[in-house]
Amino acid sequence: MLRRLSVRQIHLALFLILILVLFISAGVGAYSYTPAQMIRYIGQSLGWIAPTDADALQRNVFLSLRLPRVLLSAITGAVLGISGSLMQGLFRNPIVEPGLAGTSAGAALGAALVFVLGGASLSIAAPLGALAVPVFAFAGGFAATMIVYRVSSAFGKVNVFTLLLAGIAINAVCGAGTGFLSYIARDPQARNITFWNLGTFTGASWPAVALSSFCLIIGFLIVRRFAKSLDALMLGEDEAALLGMNPRRLILILLIVNTVMVAAVTAAVGVIAFVGLVVPHMLRMLRSPSYAFLLPASGLLGAAILAAIDVIARVLIPPAELPIGIITAIIGAPVFLAVLLRDQKRGLAGIYG
Amino acid sequence: MVELTDVRYKAGGTTILDGVSVGFRENRFNVIIGPNGAGKSTLLKIASGLLQPTSGLVKYDGEPVSGIDPEALARRRAVLSQSIELAFGLTVEEVVLIGRFPHYDAAPGKIDREIVERAIEAVDLVEKRDQLYPTLSGGEKQKAQLARILAQLWRTESSRGNRVLFLDEPVTGLDIHYQLHILDIARRMLSENCTVIAILHDLNVAFEYADSVMVLDKGCIAHETDDAHSIPAELIERVFSVRAAKAGDYWRFAPLKP
Repeated sequence: MLRRLSVRQIHLALFLILILVLFISAGVGAYSYTPAQMIRYIGQSLGWIAPTDADALQRNVFLSLRLPRVLLSAITGAVLGISGSLMQGLFRNPIVEPGLAGTSAGAALGAALVFVLGGASLSIAAPLGALAVPVFAFAGGFAATMIVYRVSSAFGKVNVFTLLLAGIAINAVCGAGTGFLSYIARDPQARNITFWNLGTFTGASWPAVALSSFCLIIGFLIVRRFAKSLDALMLGEDEAALLGMNPRRLILILLIVNTVMVAAVTAAVGVIAFVGLVVPHMLRMLRSPSYAFLLPASGLLGAAILAAIDVIARVLIPPAELPIGIITAIIGAPVFLAVLLRDQKRGLAGIYG
Repeated sequence: MVELTDVRYKAGGTTILDGVSVGFRENRFNVIIGPNGAGKSTLLKIASGLLQPTSGLVKYDGEPVSGIDPEALARRRAVLSQSIELAFGLTVEEVVLIGRFPHYDAAPGKIDREIVERAIEAVDLVEKRDQLYPTLSGGEKQKAQLARILAQLWRTESSRGNRVLFLDEPVTGLDIHYQLHILDIARRMLSENCTVIAILHDLNVAFEYADSVMVLDKGCIAHETDDAHSIPAELIERVFSVRAAKAGDYWRFAPLKP
């Protein structure tokens, strides 16, 4: 059985699956590429192999459009997967994800603010330059998450019904704000916001890949150090404190790191729901979810899933492509319902309240 | 020795503890009884260092608790709370390993694994070690938590000092088998340089196990004794608002107005 696999074996298997998906995703599309071609192009761009003029256009498409897009989809998936695991631990509830707790919607509002009003008219945004969108996305995402957390966690316990309702309220406010901005926006900006509210990798660029991978790597290295604390936090804030930890500080640090990662990818690709919810659930079916296992595994699985979904988005209705958020919702929601049903049958339903 | 000196606690204008001074001696089963709302849980939170008193002092072997490093404190005292639910399906073994967290840094050592093993044996959960915690019965859950607490306080070559085990209504809601089983295991800790301080609700069970009894009422100590059987019926009647009578070593209770 799968349950017999060791943590290391599962991590290795997920890593191999991710590599496979990345090669498929990089190969499929308007131009198709063989792995040999990919390696040659990458080698040429790094100066290891002398470039030839014969397939300059194909190479260009691969290096400046295909490759950053594939990488960005994987990085985004990794961030959303890790963020889902993290937030479910912090809120001590398996139905939390950045989309539900307001992180994504808050980040989207912050980014839309910069999109529409522009760096010029917002005097604080001007000196930030290209970083204005991610920084505003962080501010929005952090404010939204903190409000939801404060409202739903009284006396060291997170009340799940309050959490859901607070999440709905914050998402509604942020959605209204983003909607208002797209209403007053000039046409191209407005279309940008609409498309981006559903998530899209069309704007993938090397700077976006660089910024989000930087946030992902730093964020992962930090949260991995807290794997033990996150396990202890499953018992509740008081129990974690009795084990010598400082739960308040832990929650604050992890919420900040989490929001930095989510804001970076939201600023680049928009709001993508359900990945953060479904990935940790799938992993919990494999194995009991101690965080030393869950954090790397949810990064790898999230990356593989979102990269695979991006392939579907590109090949389903060529030459047009579907917004990612539509596909993640269509696939993710039924998967999530199936998980709920299964837990209900196994008598684990009580864990949601 | 756990020593509380003139501990007071106020929350939102209400006085919950009004000057409690008490010493809990080592290698003894100290029981705290009292009606709901008397301040027992608050007293235990303050004594375990989880809560800062509004005024007053808590000392372990002469050392103020507020000055002890949180991780070092976690190696010295542990608290078994009333029923802990887990949102995720950790196995029994993983739950017990959490008790070793204050003892290791990144990964558990051989000694930690061994202690987890022995703690699971001590509570008779060897067969359930790979079972998911949320699927256990209430009694088994509490035994798993007790194993975690035992692992936290386990005596090794390097840690021989006095330890304190707090029990916060540890057997409430459990059947009589689990009640006695859990309290027996806690009592065994006495032979290992451990002070036990327990809040118990069933007075007959409480007096059976107690080496000393403290009665808390309205935030003050109403009675203290080392001989549980000397507690006068009038005191129990007044504090708990019941009619109480002794039949042999055991108490019978009736409502004030039938």
